[in-house]
Amino acid sequence: MDTLIIDGLSFALPLFIMSIGGIYSERSGITNLAIEGLQGFGAFFGALSVVLLSHFFNIPIQKLFYLALLLSMVGGMIFSLLHGLLSIKFKANQVISGVVINILAMAVTVFLTTQINNMVFGAMSDKFQIGTSQRFTIPLLSKIPILGAIFKNIYPFEIVIVFMAIFAYYVFYKTRFGLRLRACGDNPHSVDAAGVEVSKVQFKAVMISGALSGLGGISFAYSISTNFSPAIYMGYGYLAIAALIFGNWEILPTFGACLLFGFARAGGYYMGQLLKLPSTFSDLIMTLPYVLTLLLLIFFSKTNRAPRALGEIYDKGKR
Amino acid sequence: MREVKVVEKDKKNHFTGFVLKLLGNEKWQFLTIPIFLIALSFVVASVIILILGKNPLMAFFNLMQGAGIMPKPSYAGYKSILTDFLTLLNFMTPMIFASLAVAVALKGGLFNIGVSGQMLLGGYLATVLVGYSGLNAFVAKPLVLIIGILGGAMLGGVVGFLKHKFNINEVVSSIMFNYIIQYVLSFFIHTKYIDPVSRQSKYINSAARLTLVNVERFGLKMDLPLGFIMAIVLSIGIKLFLDKSRVGFEIKAVGANPKGARYAGINVGKTMITTMALSGAFAGIAGATYYLGYFASIQPRVLPSMGFDAIAVALLGNNNPYGILASSFIISIIEKGSTYMSSIAGVRQEIASVITGLILLFSATNVYIQHKIRTTKEKYKYNMGKELEE
Repeated sequence: MDTLIIDGLSFALPLFIMSIGGIYSERSGITNLAIEGLQGFGAFFGALSVVLLSHFFNIPIQKLFYLALLLSMVGGMIFSLLHGLLSIKFKANQVISGVVINILAMAVTVFLTTQINNMVFGAMSDKFQIGTSQRFTIPLLSKIPILGAIFKNIYPFEIVIVFMAIFAYYVFYKTRFGLRLRACGDNPHSVDAAGVEVSKVQFKAVMISGALSGLGGISFAYSISTNFSPAIYMGYGYLAIAALIFGNWEILPTFGACLLFGFARAGGYYMGQLLKLPSTFSDLIMTLPYVLTLLLLIFFSKTNRAPRALGEIYDKGKR
Repeated sequence: MREVKVVEKDKKNHFTGFVLKLLGNEKWQFLTIPIFLIALSFVVASVIILILGKNPLMAFFNLMQGAGIMPKPSYAGYKSILTDFLTLLNFMTPMIFASLAVAVALKGGLFNIGVSGQMLLGGYLATVLVGYSGLNAFVAKPLVLIIGILGGAMLGGVVGFLKHKFNINEVVSSIMFNYIIQYVLSFFIHTKYIDPVSRQSKYINSAARLTLVNVERFGLKMDLPLGFIMAIVLSIGIKLFLDKSRVGFEIKAVGANPKGARYAGINVGKTMITTMALSGAFAGIAGATYYLGYFASIQPRVLPSMGFDAIAVALLGNNNPYGILASSFIISIIEKGSTYMSSIAGVRQEIASVITGLILLFSATNVYIQHKIRTTKEKYKYNMGKELEE
């Protein structure tokens, strides 16, 4: 039971922070399928930076953990500029732009990872070893029966994500910027009439989603494996999008959806161990989150309401 | 002071005039803009290769040598530039079908990112049902195609149905199906059809294979892709279908404006399902020619990257079947020649997907470039007119 909660949370929280990024972007009116590529590129950027830093300055790589988180956010943000440029400035189809960015991110990061490994470390590898992240247990709270597991074996990134999520929630619902952002997705003309430039707000929203995706990406790199490798492109970005669709583009319900994914995944593995299934069955267990996504989409998509101006580029002349 | 300004303005005008002359003719834009985009991608790739300290021109030349466009300095026994070129066509055949799948969906306003999964399902079903049976070649080969088509069309149709009935974004559902199919089929291959040495599914019987391998002629051993002729015929066929038939018109109408199509009395939901099923059918043929033609087995747990490269091909070819024939030729050269290039020039093979990705990136700006050229042209004409007045 404990492992279920621990593993479930360490999967659900990175997914959640990526979903929040998606909500920012989509509520501002920009469809963002690029999350998958943004999280991968962000994680790549963070991992690359700390690997190089620890190599050239002889710093133990574990000490650079928080720097890795920060730089991953920067990396995700840099790459998200591309999505902003394509879909806002160049008025490309936002769905196509998102998918293009995913494909490009994968190609670029795989190429650079092998190339840099070859040039700097002289190794034939497509991975950056970023070391294991330390985990800790909060003394008193972890003694609570059942729910205490939430406070056991926590990855430090989970704490960071929780604080970031609370902050993102506050900005989204309680500040003027958040209000304007939400208005951009539903009625951009009103924002324009209020004297605020719609495209600027949207560009900021896309950049925020890039940064949050990067944070999610590096968290996956730390929790699922202890390295950055092409295996990071497992479709978690798309799961995050599915989560925000169930969550009806609101932050709290989306958290529920992410928890569901996390526990479904952890539960699948737990069941596999419990029933002592042979390892080939792990392939079937791997499909659980995806099957669940499809089923939930079938039940929830119809009643959901997407932001009204989602996917359309704001055109001043159009009424 | 004034003169300097005039000269600078003149220079700028000359430059815009030059660019407009190159790209401005709308009649030729279908050709000039893609060539411009490819050139741009290769310039960026050259910069990357230069930074790595290698000679980009040499690398691109090696790329063409590897693909059988340019002669290599030496060949192994039974091999020549012709066999290399036939291998290129062998690789290009499924690429054409996969790209047509993307293009048909895009014409109908849908984005089929599930081509990879549809290829895998079609290829798997054909492999299991026909590839391992002892049927003779005349029955087996058409049957492989039919099963491939049915498998792909079925999956595509389901995605279309989910979109129509439950309002599920086709991109999200296709991606989910991609992963589900990848893992479920991997499970079946691992439990029933695995070859313990190659770690892939067992080889299919040669009677069912859509490429004739090691045909000895002229002292060479050639691979003859039977599907290539069909790819060309079907490219022309789908072009005629979209332009001349009623269903083709409905598909394009829904793609251009679903609301307008509904007012015109077109059943939008049904058309969407048809579009996705048709697109899936093409992906299914792509899977059959890929897994039972180019290869003869399936690697478990891997989606064919071709399904994603096909998006680049379709965008580059402007969703026009004839354009796709040309652009799939180019992308195939990049993908196919990269192995030889990396062994000779020492540039890593992965650069091929980077170049494809760059082409994809620039292709996405296609519409903007057209728009920009149109507005610059008007401005340029206006400026020129004013200067003449002065």
